[in-house]
Amino acid sequence: MIYLDNSATTRPFDSAIEAMAACMRETYFNPSSLYAPAMRAGEILAEARREILSAVGGRGQVFFTSGGTEADNLAILGAQRALRGRSGNFLTTKVEHPAVLETMAEVERLGCRVTYADVDAQGVVDVDALVAAVDGETTLVSVMQVNNEVGARMPIAEIARRVKEKNPRTLVHVDGVQGFLRVPIHMAREGVDLYTLSGHKIHGPKGIGALVVAPGVHLMPTVFGGGQEGGLRSGTENVPGIAGMLAAVRAFRALPDPAGRMAGLRRRLWAGIRAAVPDARLNGPEENAGHILNCTFPVKGEVLLHALEGEGVLCSTGSACSSHKKSKSHVLAAMGRTPQEIDGALRFSLCPMNTQEEMDQAAEAIGRCVNLLRAFRRR
Amino acid sequence: MKTVLLVRMGEIFLKGDNRNFFIKALVRNLRKALEGTDCTLELTQGRIFLRDIRDMDEVIRRATRVFGVHSVSPVVECEKDMEVICARAIELMENCTGTFKCVARRADKRFPLDSMQINEEVGYRVLSAHPGLKVDVHKPEHELSIEIRERAYLYVEKIPAVGGMPVGTGGKAMLLLSGGIDSPVAGYMIAKRGVQLHCIHYHSFPFTSEQAKQKVIDLARLLSAYAGPIRLHIVPFTEIQQELYQKCPDSQLTVLMRRFMMRIAERVARRTRCQALVTGESIGQVASQTMDGLTCTNAVCSLPVFRPLIGFDKTEIMDYAERIGTYETSILPYEDCCTIFTPRHPQTKPRVDQLEQSETLLDGEALIERALSGIEVVDIRP
Repeated sequence: MIYLDNSATTRPFDSAIEAMAACMRETYFNPSSLYAPAMRAGEILAEARREILSAVGGRGQVFFTSGGTEADNLAILGAQRALRGRSGNFLTTKVEHPAVLETMAEVERLGCRVTYADVDAQGVVDVDALVAAVDGETTLVSVMQVNNEVGARMPIAEIARRVKEKNPRTLVHVDGVQGFLRVPIHMAREGVDLYTLSGHKIHGPKGIGALVVAPGVHLMPTVFGGGQEGGLRSGTENVPGIAGMLAAVRAFRALPDPAGRMAGLRRRLWAGIRAAVPDARLNGPEENAGHILNCTFPVKGEVLLHALEGEGVLCSTGSACSSHKKSKSHVLAAMGRTPQEIDGALRFSLCPMNTQEEMDQAAEAIGRCVNLLRAFRRR
Repeated sequence: MKTVLLVRMGEIFLKGDNRNFFIKALVRNLRKALEGTDCTLELTQGRIFLRDIRDMDEVIRRATRVFGVHSVSPVVECEKDMEVICARAIELMENCTGTFKCVARRADKRFPLDSMQINEEVGYRVLSAHPGLKVDVHKPEHELSIEIRERAYLYVEKIPAVGGMPVGTGGKAMLLLSGGIDSPVAGYMIAKRGVQLHCIHYHSFPFTSEQAKQKVIDLARLLSAYAGPIRLHIVPFTEIQQELYQKCPDSQLTVLMRRFMMRIAERVARRTRCQALVTGESIGQVASQTMDGLTCTNAVCSLPVFRPLIGFDKTEIMDYAERIGTYETSILPYEDCCTIFTPRHPQTKPRVDQLEQSETLLDGEALIERALSGIEVVDIRP
């Protein structure tokens, strides 16, 4: 099996699995309990916070959540609630993950104005248009670090700088689910106030993520209860999940140049596909975040996906989260692709453990399947 | 607390000499449906009692889905003593308001009071105990039944069940199960008449996915909650579709495909001793289901083809599917890839001779043989 759907989820590192098992077996205590063994659970949380802050160049606080979706919700709804009824407006892009877009739709229902900036044909946000929409009442700008479908990198530092020049009080939120550890970020230097990350996209467990919040940023909670996580996110902490994520972050950071390695693999895969299928077309920038390759084939993407599945190559149409819906990719649509082009799009997403042989085998299988299916198009 | 359930058979009572055959089948199916609930089943004087029930709701849920069961009533069982009967009747009517009447049945003629006298006595005692109740012998809100048999049985509630005939008493049939809304309903209707089901499904990987296959397995499982164990035959169909696509006229593709499905279904039916085919077709629903289309698909098989939905509107079928619980699964969107093989302008008036002409372009027998040899069998239990 060649697994090329790492943007959907990743296979956990053995060290992450072991850390979780050990945590559940030995450090199963509630971090809020008062006896000494419980403090060991608290130490795991503290270590994970330090590790994450150092990985994102942050100075503030790390709030653990159930994953990327909840962290995005907390950033946006938390900022909206902090308005306490004052008027505010929100900015984002048309190619965000549904975790942001649907939360923005909720913010609209709550009475705030939301502006969705266009992207260019490569899927990169139009920074001028985004910044032009900033005014004195702009509460928060949310832009993803890396687009999950086409791998386009957004110019986060430039966006943050120009937004703050226009309104220093505007919060800058970055959905880093597809960028964390694969594309560098330095929150403090780049002026990012809020950063979302997820454990299972970096070979950690599912059900754990975090929102990193810069010093001085005020959010209101959206979940109420026992007052854990400084009252911003109540609920007994997912200690095994956090232990697993901590182990995964450490293991990932210890890899020799993972981003460069994946970018090389991606180039090789794309070259192989182009050789086998000359009329395949790349979606997104030629050089992108490095681990996502999205291209359109002259056949129906879903059929090609299953044919590749039959060959042991696993990939996805669009993003896994939206594959269940029958709607077409909003990202490719925003990039100006035709419905037919969207229909033939597949996403291959890599991890640092993939090999060159896998890229060659996958490209060969793609060539074989496309040429087989070419004969069967709806007449 | 009531621990006894009276199970009534509907139509079976109309049967003559074969009655025992039907009752035996019903008892067997009921036993199977109630596996794991730990209640005991007793058959006396043509009535079925389930006793020692711990989870009444669950037993009712399962028993009312068994074909051949007309209705059920949780009953109170007591000694044949008027004092005891009246005391139990008063308890039973405790939570009832409005009007009621008593309906006594004296099967044991040795009992000193006759039916009318029992009604009067029990009615009087219940009225005295619950002054809020009133008697209405014409249109009562509650009917308090008192049956005097080997013991006395009292009940108020009568819960309707699915009716029909016990599965297995009507032979065996092969259902063409597509994963859409119609075919599970068609299967349900035929099983309701006592017919044991086999299902056949055509799988066109990679044009249809593993999820589409799983969906069909799920539908068969939902169906088996009523119809009992089902054997599902999954036929690899990709090659046939590809051959048709490459060699035959576009506008005929759907009907030609249906003809192959019927041929294969009939072969598998004969192998498994099924006596008929069942489809979810209804006149005019899609291009291949015009009367001409149906004639052309019918022409390739000699077994009878049952089409219980033939006169139903789509909305009626959807309502039915919701009632039996298959709708939600049927509408999961997994199979649109098959549209590759759906002509944009299918023939609505195909002719058998023209189709046969097209079929000479293929080695149909070899295609069918290869499909048959690749069949995957899945045995499904409720």
